Amino acid sequence: MTADKEKRRAISREAARRRRRVESDVFGDLSRLLPLQPSVRAHLDKPSVIRLTLSYIRTHTLLKGRTGTKTEVSHAVKYAEVKEGGEDRPECDEEKETEEVEASDESNMYLRILEGFLMVLSTEGDMIFLSDNVSKYMGLTQTELMGHNIFEFTHPCDHEEIRSNLRLTAEEVWRGAKRDFVMRIKSALTHRGRSANLKSATWKVLHCQGRAKVCVGPSSVSCLLLTCQPLPLSHTLLSTHTFTSQHSMDMRFTHCDQRVTALLGYGPEELLGRSIYDLCHTLDTSCLTKNHLNLCLKTQSVSGQYRMLVKGGGYVWVESHSAVIPSVRPSKSRPGAHQPLCILCVTYVLSGVEQPSLQLSLDQTVHRYLR
Amino acid sequence: MSAGGNDGTATRPADPTAEEEGPSQAGSSLPAVELPRKRKGDVEERQSLDFQMDDDLSRSEGEDQQVKMKCFREPHSQIEKRRRDKMNNLIDELAAMIPACQPMARKLDKLTVLRKAVQHLKTLKAGTSSAFTDTTYKPSILPHDDLRQLLLRAADGFLLVVSCDRAKILFTSESVSKILHFSRLELTGQSLFDFVHHKDINKVKEQLASSELYPRQRLIDAATGVQVQADSPVRPSHLTTGARRSFFCRMKHSRVAGKHEDKPSLLITSKKKDTYKYCTLHCTGYMRSWPSSQLDSEGDTEKETSNLTCLVTVCRLLPHTSHQPSKDVNVKPAEFVTRCAIDGKFTFVDQRATTVIGYLPQEILGTSCYEYFHQDDLQQLAEKHRQALRSKEKIETQCYKFKTKYGVYVSLQSQWFSFTNPWTKEVEFIVSLNRVISGPAHTKDEEAGSSKALQEDAKQIPIIPSLSSGVGTMIYAGSIGTQIANELIDTYSRMNSSPSSGAPSPFGPAQEKGPLVSPPTSRSASSREEAAGSSSQSHSDSGTAAGASSAASESTGEPSQLDFDSMVVPGLSSFSSDEAAMAVIMSLLETDVNMGQSGDFGDLHWPF
Repeated sequence: MTADKEKRRAISREAARRRRRVESDVFGDLSRLLPLQPSVRAHLDKPSVIRLTLSYIRTHTLLKGRTGTKTEVSHAVKYAEVKEGGEDRPECDEEKETEEVEASDESNMYLRILEGFLMVLSTEGDMIFLSDNVSKYMGLTQTELMGHNIFEFTHPCDHEEIRSNLRLTAEEVWRGAKRDFVMRIKSALTHRGRSANLKSATWKVLHCQGRAKVCVGPSSVSCLLLTCQPLPLSHTLLSTHTFTSQHSMDMRFTHCDQRVTALLGYGPEELLGRSIYDLCHTLDTSCLTKNHLNLCLKTQSVSGQYRMLVKGGGYVWVESHSAVIPSVRPSKSRPGAHQPLCILCVTYVLSGVEQPSLQLSLDQTVHRYLR
Repeated sequence: MSAGGNDGTATRPADPTAEEEGPSQAGSSLPAVELPRKRKGDVEERQSLDFQMDDDLSRSEGEDQQVKMKCFREPHSQIEKRRRDKMNNLIDELAAMIPACQPMARKLDKLTVLRKAVQHLKTLKAGTSSAFTDTTYKPSILPHDDLRQLLLRAADGFLLVVSCDRAKILFTSESVSKILHFSRLELTGQSLFDFVHHKDINKVKEQLASSELYPRQRLIDAATGVQVQADSPVRPSHLTTGARRSFFCRMKHSRVAGKHEDKPSLLITSKKKDTYKYCTLHCTGYMRSWPSSQLDSEGDTEKETSNLTCLVTVCRLLPHTSHQPSKDVNVKPAEFVTRCAIDGKFTFVDQRATTVIGYLPQEILGTSCYEYFHQDDLQQLAEKHRQALRSKEKIETQCYKFKTKYGVYVSLQSQWFSFTNPWTKEVEFIVSLNRVISGPAHTKDEEAGSSKALQEDAKQIPIIPSLSSGVGTMIYAGSIGTQIANELIDTYSRMNSSPSSGAPSPFGPAQEKGPLVSPPTSRSASSREEAAGSSSQSHSDSGTAAGASSAASESTGEPSQLDFDSMVVPGLSSFSSDEAAMAVIMSLLETDVNMGQSGDFGDLHWPF
């Protein structure tokens, strides 16, 4: 009897092996159809293959709905050589190849210029598509992330805000409603810029801007197209129309650089101790509040545009990029304590002085009378 | 278990020698659990089972690392079950996406779904010709054309390439027509300065400058956040290739009829001759230089080896509506906005006020609003003032009379809203949205109503003594506001000096909704060194201090505020609000920055 059982077991084992082989073959076929580099493909596990296939299909569904031009439709998944610096390529016979190469160079250039990555989010928060430079910012590759849900990678306190941004009414989708928010995302990059394990991830603040998009097909799919840029700001500043300032956590000035005088009329020392809320147009209070809250919670923020009052009258439109950093000056009275925090702001002045004779606030009048 | 053994293996097809479902597999607890299941004869389950085993043996990066870690703490069967479920979910999702799988009545098995997926992908690719199979090319999931389109659509921007010496527009992307309403042809070859707002020309010139004659590059020191002037002469290479630029400028956009709803019209500057509108763009990009021989000759043939330097930027339209106040601060005609300090003195007056009240802003700035209220209204307005200071809600006043410059009274109705600093949680000022109410009928009712109210309340509020007198009212009116403000300040200092209690709910009804951690008021910095103990306790302390300061009420007789009183139970804890503040900050930093690792603030990633 046992021999019989043994034989049956052996047969079923063989059958199982065959099934597994077939299945693995199919997985292999599937992964070969995905536009991935061979080295990447070799390391994919089966759930990832399915995940990426799903993303691929969804991305194509998304694009199908656009009124693409003939060139877009006729171009498939492109294979293009990526060169650093984008110097000119030798003339090719194949016109198509040139086009594709240009397109690839261009899109890579865009991504580099943007200093961020592209993310396409479904209304449930699935990351349908991520541009491949996401690894530069998150330490995780495109293939590792695509298809996953964004809530797995973002700070729990920001989920509420992300959810409300994902909520799209039909009307909003059709007119391509805009989105602009700041969120914290896991980053597996070390200080030196190398990828580490996700378990030792830190939070990175991303500024996400974009709009809603819909594609009409067998089933309408709506999603958010977002560019995600890490804060803080670019490290080069030019002098005109920009000034930096430091504030205590309640947004009172603690330091301001000289350029503010040319832009707003105040000397840096005049601003010390004053709250930024006093110096701005009242209607922009909520914009500033939102900025302030973002700073307190997420440590970095981009304000929208708001108005700052100019000494003596009028106002200018500005936009501030700010972050919370350890205070520059060594604490005088508390050696050895934890460094207190302060807010560093870079403010870009966008406009000239509007309505310079208009006095809106109390201190604008004071300065005029004291002249 | 393959956890220890198979780290090195990359993927591999079903390896007949490696997998073994019998109990003979070394070290694996899998068969012991799974054998009974295998006898059930469920095809799919067996398949997924086998799959799981394959999965065990063919590890890759990503989530499997974590699973490996977990298997030391969880029973293996749990892990397997989870993996199976996940796989099944994925297969279901895949089936939902593939048209060929849709109309099936019963659920398809895994293999069929996978096969159909393969077919589907093939058709997707066949419909779009792909002639390249050269493996040296780097494939991408999205066609580059489409990626670029998506990018520009998301960014609401266009690419702009401008030569640095003469600011000639060399290239723009198609999307420029959507944003500036000029076609590419109209722009290419033109000077950029023809399109930039005249006041921004200098700014743009500076950005384009790539020579050392403009040593204006300011860098921020990563460690201290202070600006560092570049003392040494900047190397040319630093400025030519790769140097980043980021600036805002205003550009013309043509007044073509079209969709303008998402066009920011913040800065509608109509110049004398042309009536163009300008839109504000945020331009970010970098400098790039090419050998000039590669580009179309534009007469620059004197130097053969000269490099043409260009600025390559993406110009994004600013999303001006995103941060603007929402509908509730919708300003209609015959409305104006004012801002007062907590004692009622005007610190900001919208210019539209002049048409309503006759005064120019500078004429009333600094004076107390009470000086303009009709004496019959002082009572209710003082009451509303008190309410506004203590509530986060918008307080609507009844109609009241405001004295204009010419002695006549105008009927207004206002919405008061106190602004609390998010960090200190103290009220800094009150914003008032004032609306004109027309009609004489109002004044009649008002007089009757308010005089009655006056009589009732006169006994209860002793701080407005000389209300009924004539001229004397004007002199004392200003002090009403001051007094109300002082009440509030006293409340603050009381809360700060006395230790706060351990109230049950830190984020009570006084707090705003949302994931806020509210740091308490703390002005004095002396006790910052003493870090608080457990963060949970300090959370409740901080919450209480915050709750107290924003909800603290005197015995004003407002029924709703009695609830707040009961929240601030005068039981004491040993932590002062400053220690609580420090503890909150530390816990904020711990959770936010280091994800559980304890660390000092120096770990904050500040990649300047």
